[in-house]
Amino acid sequence: MEDIGYKIFGAFLTTVLAFVVGMFYGGFRRKIIARIQNRVGPPVYQNFLDVMKLLSKKTAVHHGIMQQLAPLWLITMSIVTLMFIPVLKDGLFFTNLNFSGDIIFLLYMMVFGSLGMALGAGQTGNPNSAIGVTRGLIQMVGFEIPWIMALVALMVQYKTTSVTGLLDIQSQSGTWMMFSSPFAFIAALLAMPGMFRYSPFDIVGAPAELASGPVSEFGGKYLSLMMTSGSIFAFVKLTLIVDLFLGGASNLIELVIKTFILYMYPVLWGAISPRFRTEQAVKYFWGWPLFFGVIALAFATF
Amino acid sequence: MTDTLNKENKLLEVLKEEFKLLSGKVKRSRRVEVVIENEQIIPILLFAKERLNYIHFSHMSCVDWIEEGKFEVIYILWSPEEKINLLIKTKVAREGEDLPNIDFIWRQANTYEREIREMYGLPFDGLVGREEFILEDWDEIPPMRRDFITNEYVSETYFEREGREDAKDVREQILGRTDEKLPDFAKKYSRD
Amino acid sequence: MAYDNNSQKIVDYIQNFARKHSLFVLAYGTGCGAIEIPPTMTSRYDAERFGIRGAATPRQADVLLITGYLATKTLKRVIRTYEQMQDPKYVIAFGSCTINGGMYWDSYNTINMLDKYIPVDVYINGCMPRPEAVISGFVKLQDEIQAGRADGWKKYQDNLEEYRANQKKIIKNWTMPDFNW
Repeated sequence: MEDIGYKIFGAFLTTVLAFVVGMFYGGFRRKIIARIQNRVGPPVYQNFLDVMKLLSKKTAVHHGIMQQLAPLWLITMSIVTLMFIPVLKDGLFFTNLNFSGDIIFLLYMMVFGSLGMALGAGQTGNPNSAIGVTRGLIQMVGFEIPWIMALVALMVQYKTTSVTGLLDIQSQSGTWMMFSSPFAFIAALLAMPGMFRYSPFDIVGAPAELASGPVSEFGGKYLSLMMTSGSIFAFVKLTLIVDLFLGGASNLIELVIKTFILYMYPVLWGAISPRFRTEQAVKYFWGWPLFFGVIALAFATF
Repeated sequence: MTDTLNKENKLLEVLKEEFKLLSGKVKRSRRVEVVIENEQIIPILLFAKERLNYIHFSHMSCVDWIEEGKFEVIYILWSPEEKINLLIKTKVAREGEDLPNIDFIWRQANTYEREIREMYGLPFDGLVGREEFILEDWDEIPPMRRDFITNEYVSETYFEREGREDAKDVREQILGRTDEKLPDFAKKYSRD
Repeated sequence: MAYDNNSQKIVDYIQNFARKHSLFVLAYGTGCGAIEIPPTMTSRYDAERFGIRGAATPRQADVLLITGYLATKTLKRVIRTYEQMQDPKYVIAFGSCTINGGMYWDSYNTINMLDKYIPVDVYINGCMPRPEAVISGFVKLQDEIQAGRADGWKKYQDNLEEYRANQKKIIKNWTMPDFNW
């Protein structure tokens, strides 16, 4: 009985942690981009204010049940994925359900939210949404292939599909997977900016040409839920990569340092790049990332 | 000075030989103005385009001469080789007459013709295009005609902010600073 | 407790604090003022340090910036945009054209007083206002929001018939859907 109590409390704590850290990372991102552009920039806690403001909106127009469900779908996906990822290697609160799910399940879950979003955006009837969804799915086809190849390489090489199993192997051997299977790491790293959808891969929500794409009809509380889910999901992705390649983290400070350094890579790349067109993005993902993915698979098999 | 206007005078002579001009003169270097009957508009435009190589249709505009009961329509052409602006003017009665459509000569004339049709109510024979071009839901007389009293329309239709009604003619005051005089033609349009 | 006066005050304070520091701006750039927005937003004047950020669509926006003269034709689009925004929403009107018609005061197709058609929270005068003036206008709006005085959206709901009558006087062929909450 006590165990379940700890589990529930731990799940709650993990969600709050992911939300707060993800939000602050978003704030740092805005601040860093502002400093790169020689501006002062908004305060670091700006994203919290945005979410609070959006929640305090009096009205939120919707076009039907699917549009109402889409943000819920997104945030459910983010939290469920978070539950199946070991945030810390061991400990009472942050391990959650990591023994019950494996990498293949996670790969499914991470796509699930985007599909829900596509359905919701489809119901709004906005032409920009439809174009955004199309672009998003094309981009997903682009980055998923090298990303899945990298993960499959890991699974084949170490003969386990469990994230915890991979963590144990890393702590036993004492080397991180980024050194023991470098090609998989390179492929995952090159595919990672596509998952974050920052510039140059912000072709989905391009504000200047698509009026923020799938999000364009979502206002008020729907938008706030989507922002929340976005920050949780950013934390999820960072934690997953840290767990798989960077040896996980044994305490929160180590986790924050590792994820922040990893986070800086798409952010800084984005700060200095203009936007790709859709076919350029796909061309990029099916170029070097795919090449390294194939090498990683070969490396893992032989 | 006269030798610098050689090509302009030559152009005027060619046009005089070919057409019966009501008047024609060289306004200044690189600008020639001819006035012609409105039946002759298509021939002179085609002649200018095909023979004289005035291939660029710069502009087309309209002036309302309400005292004569006429609209004056001006076609402005440009030759990139001769580097001369050729202004072809014609007059047409305000009511009951129409001008030929010229958008088969220059496609872009369609836009100007639709604008003139909408703003002056001057019909063009055979002009294709939606009736409503720039104005939306307009049911007054065309707004650029001079018998359309803008001030009255504005005071009827729109609200006026208090403090705006004492708008004075400040031109005298501004000119006073530099000891200039307001010319007579300008006084005619004074607000006072 | 939730409807207790003092606790309502605290909730209002927090809400207003969030609203004032997070303004998503929808710039309606028809007039000359549109050119003043890019310098206000970018490196030189950096409006983002006040939490002011561009919004791409009316659904996400809080502030409608009307930058300059409004023809009757564009007024129709402005009303449509304004009604698509989510409450609470604010309007900042730019330049003398929106105040009293400016230099287009006797034109047959530009309106003279914007606040007869949609409620305006802050006017910025000038022809055109420089980015400093724009930012000072935003700061003024922030003060109004914190004090709870920026209630144009409430005014619009309460006096909808009056506004609608004024709008229909200009827009004769009314084809827009009715405003609903």
